[in-house]
Amino acid sequence: MNILFTLTKRNVKLFFKDKGMFFTSLVTPAILLVLYVTFLGNLYRDTFLSQIPASFQISDKIINGLVGGQLVSSILAVSCITVAFCSNFLMVQDKANGTAKDLTISPVKSHILSLSYYIATLISTILICASALIICLIYLTFAGWYLTFSHVILLFVDVFLLSFLGTAISSVINFFLSTQGQISAVGTIISAGYGFICGAYMPIYSFGDGLQKVVSLLPGTYGTSLLRNHAMQGVFSEMVNVGIPTDAVEQMKNSVDCNVFFFGNKVEISSMYIFISVTVIALVGIYIMLNALKSKKASK
Amino acid sequence: MENIIEISNLNKSFGDVHAVSDLSFIVKKGELFAFLGVNGAGKSTTINIMCTQLKKDSGKIIIDGCDLDKGSDKIKRRLGVVFQASVLDNALSVYDNLESRAALYGITGDAFKKRLDELSTLLKFKDLLKRTFGKLSGGQKRRIDIARALIHQPKILVLDEPTTGLDPQTRKLIWDVIYELKENQQMTVFLTTHYMEEASEADYVVILDNGKVSAKGTPHELKTSYTGDYITLYNACEDNVKSLNLPYEKTKDSYKISVSSTKEATDIILKNPALFTDYEITKGKMDDVFLSVTGKSLTEGN
Repeated sequence: MNILFTLTKRNVKLFFKDKGMFFTSLVTPAILLVLYVTFLGNLYRDTFLSQIPASFQISDKIINGLVGGQLVSSILAVSCITVAFCSNFLMVQDKANGTAKDLTISPVKSHILSLSYYIATLISTILICASALIICLIYLTFAGWYLTFSHVILLFVDVFLLSFLGTAISSVINFFLSTQGQISAVGTIISAGYGFICGAYMPIYSFGDGLQKVVSLLPGTYGTSLLRNHAMQGVFSEMVNVGIPTDAVEQMKNSVDCNVFFFGNKVEISSMYIFISVTVIALVGIYIMLNALKSKKASK
Repeated sequence: MENIIEISNLNKSFGDVHAVSDLSFIVKKGELFAFLGVNGAGKSTTINIMCTQLKKDSGKIIIDGCDLDKGSDKIKRRLGVVFQASVLDNALSVYDNLESRAALYGITGDAFKKRLDELSTLLKFKDLLKRTFGKLSGGQKRRIDIARALIHQPKILVLDEPTTGLDPQTRKLIWDVIYELKENQQMTVFLTTHYMEEASEADYVVILDNGKVSAKGTPHELKTSYTGDYITLYNACEDNVKSLNLPYEKTKDSYKISVSSTKEATDIILKNPALFTDYEITKGKMDDVFLSVTGKSLTEGN
């Protein structure tokens, strides 16, 4: 355990001492928040207003709460994955600059080394994404606060779980990388593409049927949905309280992916947690197995 | 002296390139072993195979009685490696670097602090412990690299061009440490270097060329076998030197006469006592050995 602890400490320290890597990870959620508020806020607002029956008057605070909940959930859904990738690039950098060789000439077991990268990435990702969540919560207090204490706790749980998922996905993908060029390429692809396939930039509900079925197989879809549910549930309840018809509210939930469907069947919140958790366990298992196989191959 | 490294019929190819071909040699316990060759001769490939970083195609490697094929963990504990380029973490302090590397061998807590104290005294870096590794000078970094290689008290220290690019003072410090480890701790030192004066300090030398052993022996044996001697003659007239009918080279204030052996030099001096009043006999250098064996100079090979 001491070995794992010391190696994890080394990895975490390196991440926080690498100003480029740390700063990029830290500012990404903040930049996303500013970009979302600036460019998507009005679009989301108009979309929501168009879904409310014309006969109903609704306060600005509720609309701002809806828009804020969607922005915050989108930012967190993307950040948990991109920050994990950014943090986990240390593993690739170690290969690129030869440090990995210095580690593997020692008798340390490959699963200890791989776990140390995983745990360090997880710690860094959770620290940064939990900070991002706190900033988002502060934003919501100004935009329109409808969260209960349990919603806030569940948002933290979601961020933790998505950080586990992001770390697991990045561990498996980064395992195959070994150069700075590959780091840049994968970083760019993930930053640009992940937001679309997890439904953060555009609701999955707006995708075609085929594409909806494909993304329903991906764990990120449910991560976004969990965050949406916990960031927006309070404001939806308030809408019902002020008299908006339940059907209209349900339709709105569908349109922002609070309700997601797996081949036509609505997926319950508990099933989303189970699906993401099982995916994390499977990916961590694959990651450890890949490292063990590599180590075995090298020693033959 | 017992053998600590035994390499037999080692082969390694990368595609069509035979990096190491049927390589066999032995390193005795406690000796300073020099492994010479131009870049691409197969030195690093051999070291990487010994350190379990590369898979061999065929052959046998036994290190301190442990067969590489029957488990690499024991071998990894016996080897300490100083790589050509430093591979420690530039962003971390010297203390943090050594702490994380010691942990790889299960050395943590008080055991680490005790070992760190020993090494920082031996390599004189107590004042550098809190400094960021990336901000150290080349010589300071090299000392820390050696400390990292010694952190787990290995039986064999592998030094891959440890003094390249260092100032004379740091080179001297590093060589003092190598002698200290060899003499007082009976550590085997496996050295690759481009400095022939360093190779001439070795107990045994293997010269590698195109992945094969071209020559091996003690520096004295190699000099005797592959180079002649020189008589440096002062205060002489060139006509008299010419009359010896031996190849010579004129320098600023002397003539450097090539002879095949010390015996021949002695015979010539005894036959020409009037000419040889102020002279010295020197053996060929390791550079000459290397050139004679491989047809290349080490600087040319770079």
